[in-house]
Amino acid sequence: MHVLEVKNLVKTFDGIRAVDDVSFAVPEGSVFGLIGRNGAGKTTTLRIMMNIYLPDSGEVLLQGAKAGQDFKDKVGYLPEERGLYKKMKVIETLLFFAELKGKTGKAVERKAIEYLERFQLADRKNSKVEDLSKGNQQKVQFITTILHDPEFIILDEPFTGLDPINTNLLKEIILELKNQGKVIIFSTHLMDFAERMCDHITMLDKGKVILNGALADIKAKYSQRNVSINYQGDLSFLKSSPIVEKIFEYGNSSSIKVKEPMQVQQLLKILVDNNIIITKFAADEISLQEIFVELAGDENNNSITEEAGNV
Amino acid sequence: MFNRRTLSIIKRELREKVLSKSFIFMTLLIPVFIFGILGIQMMLINYDSNSTASLQVSCETSQLAAAVGGELSKLPFVKDGSFKITYNFMPQSDFEKMLPLLKKNMLNDKLTGVLYIPNSALSDKKINYYSKNPNNYLLLNKFRSSINSALINIYFSEKQLSAKEISFAGEGVDINGFRISKDIKIKAEGFGNQVVSFLFTFLLYFSLIIFGTMIMRSVVQEKNNRIVEVLLSSVNSKELMAGKIIGTSITGIAQMFIWLFPLMLVISSSVFILPKDFAIDVSLLQVSYILFNFLIGLITFLGLFATVGAIFDNDQDAQSGIWPIMLLIMIPFFIGISLVNNPENTIGIVASMMPFASIIVMPARMTLVDVPSWQFALAVIVNLSTLVLIFPLAGKIYRVGILMSGKKPKWSEVVGWLKYKY
Repeated sequence: MHVLEVKNLVKTFDGIRAVDDVSFAVPEGSVFGLIGRNGAGKTTTLRIMMNIYLPDSGEVLLQGAKAGQDFKDKVGYLPEERGLYKKMKVIETLLFFAELKGKTGKAVERKAIEYLERFQLADRKNSKVEDLSKGNQQKVQFITTILHDPEFIILDEPFTGLDPINTNLLKEIILELKNQGKVIIFSTHLMDFAERMCDHITMLDKGKVILNGALADIKAKYSQRNVSINYQGDLSFLKSSPIVEKIFEYGNSSSIKVKEPMQVQQLLKILVDNNIIITKFAADEISLQEIFVELAGDENNNSITEEAGNV
Repeated sequence: MFNRRTLSIIKRELREKVLSKSFIFMTLLIPVFIFGILGIQMMLINYDSNSTASLQVSCETSQLAAAVGGELSKLPFVKDGSFKITYNFMPQSDFEKMLPLLKKNMLNDKLTGVLYIPNSALSDKKINYYSKNPNNYLLLNKFRSSINSALINIYFSEKQLSAKEISFAGEGVDINGFRISKDIKIKAEGFGNQVVSFLFTFLLYFSLIIFGTMIMRSVVQEKNNRIVEVLLSSVNSKELMAGKIIGTSITGIAQMFIWLFPLMLVISSSVFILPKDFAIDVSLLQVSYILFNFLIGLITFLGLFATVGAIFDNDQDAQSGIWPIMLLIMIPFFIGISLVNNPENTIGIVASMMPFASIIVMPARMTLVDVPSWQFALAVIVNLSTLVLIFPLAGKIYRVGILMSGKKPKWSEVVGWLKYKY
């Protein structure tokens, strides 16, 4: 069952198609990742979903019906560019944003305090926002996103600017919300986060969907004939090898695609024969990063979209 | 457009504005400031640096010298010695010989000036004054009437007239103003209404600029701090704009009410009796019109200021982009204060019914003259129509602007925003 559907969205700014016929569906209870490099159209897509921008064409469907103001009340949205009223007190800020979503009263206040405690901000509830550190302001912002108990949580690049501890805290809460049955949609250009957290992904490049589907299916499809290795040595000889179709080097790890599935063992032999010290050799494995680079990395490859399609 | 979300925004605006220290300060300080300006202006006009002076009055005959001396010595500042006057008499030729010496004394400030009254003054009232600063009317005016009476006294003394008749001849004309209005009784008019008209103009001017700048800064801040996107995920831009404008308008009306309250008290009760010259002839209906007019004006101008705020993403750019709207407030302001000189000049009449200008000019005009009801009606219609016409445009620019960031847009680009589909 798809709770949220995005259909054929198009949005043009000054003649540039920022979002070009984007369609995807978000299944119930999933963590959904909208991924792509900077400027791929992720934020614009999310803004259209939030009804902040009107699309030139296309629509956003909530349980089959056109999403309107009722959707806004059910969503917690954390924009990429964050902002709070600097002169407002922390607790006032939280209650104000909850009030905008139609949640008022003692229960919300109690919940606000609970969250503040959880984020170790309870003692700062009467401080002005401007007196908090940047990290703490981000935490306050995140609480405003989830305080009104939304069914959908849309996070635009939630991990940018967070330190590792807060990143973990945020991940923990996202998973917790997922377990409560909330739908979480987040955009990121950090592939490893997407890979670790998402069930479903849609990959955007230059405003177009280049990959779409369940992460497990996508990985199954792209990992065939692919080998991930960690190694020490010089792999340059592989470039001229007849069995190698593609090679991506990331420093001391590398991803190699062979031409035929049978050639994986052959590859291992060549590596050993060439005195490469192998610390990890994983057949039929591929990271989202590698898929992304494969699909969107080559600027001159115009056939990417045809190749990729839906899985 | 008006729903619980708008209400939440209004509440936040009110909390931020009415409960702020600056609101209390402004409410108290602006009247002080306005009366300060009035006071300083009065002081500057009346400032008299000639509290002491030494003069020489030379007359052609002893009779003249005695008469002028007699009149001048009656003046209080001559009596108390702050003005030292020496009298002598000599024929014109002797006076002219003496002039070089007098000139030297005047140049080294031993003498402020020299008056020469020839006998011919008794027929043509022409006298000469020699000084480094002969155009010092403030000083000359102090002597003008005394010398005039001296001349009159001598002139009429030969003509067998009673002292009463002579004193009548010496008096100036005192003009009392009576305001003619539709009311049956004709009222004597003091300065009261001029002061009130001045006050209204100033208060409207200050309020529009202060609250306009306030909402503009607030929009720039929301845009600059990126709060706007968080807000727009809950409310739409119309609700946001309406909430902000209504919240600020309520603050503005509250402040104006506080300012006008003493005035209402004065005109509606007999407890406070003003001196006759300062009697105020303003009805409560007129004060209500001012409040209503101010509300429409506030909403109109706040919409414009908010729109300009939405175009720019920092205060400096917004300040420099606000000038077209500032002109819409400043030109009517100058028309408004100039009305005191002649409330029925054509510019004033037209401006009091023009879009934007009417908001400041009409209150000033109606306190000075009896404005026909059709002009009131027209002004209200014009103001309301202006409001209705500008808001769709302002709302559109606001909607596009608040999400725009990056380089400062050109005016042509802003016009282009009107065509955007948002």
